[in-house]
Amino acid sequence: MTEILLLLHILMGILALLSRDLLKAVLFLAVLSLLSALLFFHLHAPDVALTEAAVGTGLSTFLYIWLIRKVGLKEDE
Amino acid sequence: MDLAPLSWDFINYFLLGTTVVSTVRLIIGPTLADRLVAVNLIAAQVLAILVIVAVKEKLSVYLDVALVYDIFGFIGVLAVVKYFGRKEEIR
Repeated sequence: MTEILLLLHILMGILALLSRDLLKAVLFLAVLSLLSALLFFHLHAPDVALTEAAVGTGLSTFLYIWLIRKVGLKEDE
Repeated sequence: MDLAPLSWDFINYFLLGTTVVSTVRLIIGPTLADRLVAVNLIAAQVLAILVIVAVKEKLSVYLDVALVYDIFGFIGVLAVVKYFGRKEEIR
């Protein structure tokens, strides 16, 4: 299970790096932090998983969305 | 709740496999709405894994992780919908 989660981590990280649409990248990052919370949970660290779920999934997604709304959607060349 | 140890593993791997399959829609989804539904689906499946592991280990601390995760994931989806929910911006 750990190997599958780590492979999904790599896939989501590469996709978040390479996507030109910023909103798409934020969605990939949300799934990345979700999977890392599941990984911490699977490795018997529920307190770390709790913090990761609160900060990574909720707060950072909200912050990035709010900032993209102010800055603009497309990444300039 | 007592199940055979093999069936716990089967449930976990089955839900993880459906998560991997839902990732395909997240990657190839043409519009933003498709990707948002895929994120919500993956969140639901990960939540099911968290609750099932909590029932298996019989620890209530694990259920707190599932609760907090569900609340904040919903807030994240709400933020996307509130700021980019108008029709001309969803491509």
